[in-house]
Amino acid sequence: MALPPAVELRRRNRAALLEQLHRHGPQTRAALTEALELNRSTIGALATDLAESGHLQETTGQSTGSAGRPSTLVACVPRSITVAAVEIRADRLRFALVGLGGEVLERSESALEAGADPIEAVAVITGGTASAAAVASVPGLVDEGAVAHSTELGWIDRDAAAELEAATGREWRVVDTATAAAVGEWSRGDAGEARKLLYLHGGRGLTAGLVIEGRAQRGGSIQLGHIVVEPGGRECVCGLRGCLDAEMEAFGLADGIEDATLAAGMGDAAARDRLRRSGEGLGRALGAVVTATGPDEILFGGWLRELYLSTAAPVRSAFAETTLPHLRSKLRLRTPVLGDEGALIGAAETGFAAVFEEMR
Amino acid sequence: MLLELTGLSKRFGPVEVLSDVDLAIDAGEVCALVGDNGAGKSTLVKCVAGIHGIDGGAIAVDGEARTISGPRDAAALGIEVVYQDLALCDNLDVVENLFLGREKRRGLVLDDDAMEQLAAETLSSLAVRTIRNLRQPVASLSGGQRQTVAIAKAVLWNSRLVILDEPTAALGVAQTRQVLELIRRLADQGLAVLYISHNLNDVFAVADRIAALYLGRMAAVLDAADATQSQVVELITSGRSGSLGLGADTNGARS
Repeated sequence: MALPPAVELRRRNRAALLEQLHRHGPQTRAALTEALELNRSTIGALATDLAESGHLQETTGQSTGSAGRPSTLVACVPRSITVAAVEIRADRLRFALVGLGGEVLERSESALEAGADPIEAVAVITGGTASAAAVASVPGLVDEGAVAHSTELGWIDRDAAAELEAATGREWRVVDTATAAAVGEWSRGDAGEARKLLYLHGGRGLTAGLVIEGRAQRGGSIQLGHIVVEPGGRECVCGLRGCLDAEMEAFGLADGIEDATLAAGMGDAAARDRLRRSGEGLGRALGAVVTATGPDEILFGGWLRELYLSTAAPVRSAFAETTLPHLRSKLRLRTPVLGDEGALIGAAETGFAAVFEEMR
Repeated sequence: MLLELTGLSKRFGPVEVLSDVDLAIDAGEVCALVGDNGAGKSTLVKCVAGIHGIDGGAIAVDGEARTISGPRDAAALGIEVVYQDLALCDNLDVVENLFLGREKRRGLVLDDDAMEQLAAETLSSLAVRTIRNLRQPVASLSGGQRQTVAIAKAVLWNSRLVILDEPTAALGVAQTRQVLELIRRLADQGLAVLYISHNLNDVFAVADRIAALYLGRMAAVLDAADATQSQVVELITSGRSGSLGLGADTNGARS
């Protein structure tokens, strides 16, 4: 049913104002007026309205040290809208309840016993939590809530969103871990200027996620670890030969990257050689991904941070040899600032984006 | 260009240490300076920092020719150098070290609160989470933390070009990573960084451009995006790689 135009406009403005505060933090009414390009009185009415509904509060800002009364800041109330985010890993579940404005209100981690089904465990840890949206991040190839392939979890064609809904009785969104982390770094990290951001995630197996202007894309979930870098090479768990995961023995590095880089740093020739080969393989796979997607920033996340910073020379050399110059000349290669928290933060941001979308 | 060196030459008596060196560094980029021992890296840094006078060529900052005749001149132009020995005072705490010699005053006394706040802001703008207590003496910090303090000290003074001489040489693997990320962040915040290192992994991890010195001459300046490790190694060891580098007629000897 179509709403009267004035009511609909008001809804849109409410959503826009909350989104502005959520993304950019507390600010003055004047700043809001400018950012949203709305009338002063409109902002005033919206703020009063949203204050009554408990979504925002006006606080006295920090004194700037200059003369005059400190200006009043409008801030959102974290508890008024919350999103539950869960990151599923092979051996553990990580949970965060994130409030409006990005504050982490609750945070927990629980180990998964071998053989336990993560979906049931998710139902247990999110059981008593009320939230406006729930998002799960899964390491693997994810499309529209279904997990087509996850090396880390050993899942093939599992409709995770539907199973989570059946287990918990509420709607779930499912994103892949790399994409979630990319959203997190774009919105709450240092990568907000990237138009096309590619996040490489090192878990038990490598995945990648591409976001455009901070938004997850259909088809942006990439199975980095199953790009063949050595045709006819080692056999991989997926059935192919010469996959990046198999060639760099990614499972071993996932558990032992610290030991491997330490040994290489102390001059262990075998460890050095292994890291160099892993770096070259990563560079070649990256060449293929960048040629296909053309990002302007790449983040090396999970244990790939350690690998990249220790083997940047072979990674970039192999990458330069497998990519067109115009694709790499302006490309920024960076490590993420949110570290391990990126995926949870990004999963929550995905939930907030959906909440704001529904409010419109 | 923030800093532009043209035809820079430096002699110690009869020995020509730098010969006709060109190098330009722009704001927002990390330029790595590589070269074998004795290639002239440290001399080049000392010429820019005002420790050594130059015998030929020109130094321009923001396109304007400048004479740098002492460290004060360099500092006034926004050029700060972090040397390998860091030059920190072990008996002073983090804040005192950051402001050493340039303390903030309020009337006759030191303005400790303002200094501590500014120190905290600087460290948080660099996303430094490894130093929790700003009032602990520097003697109690690890090598990586000390390096961080030395770099933060260079950044605190509205500096525009930070020169880092082998900042990771004495560090462990994990600390090296943190310092590399810090170097990258400096440039991403708009500073120019001249980064000297022997470790090519460290160089490739942060550099936008790689300048290779060979026996006092600039063999080549490459975009890091186009460079390969073997090219850089060849430039360091022989001064040329394929069509890059010094011409075949120069073997480093002066004609």
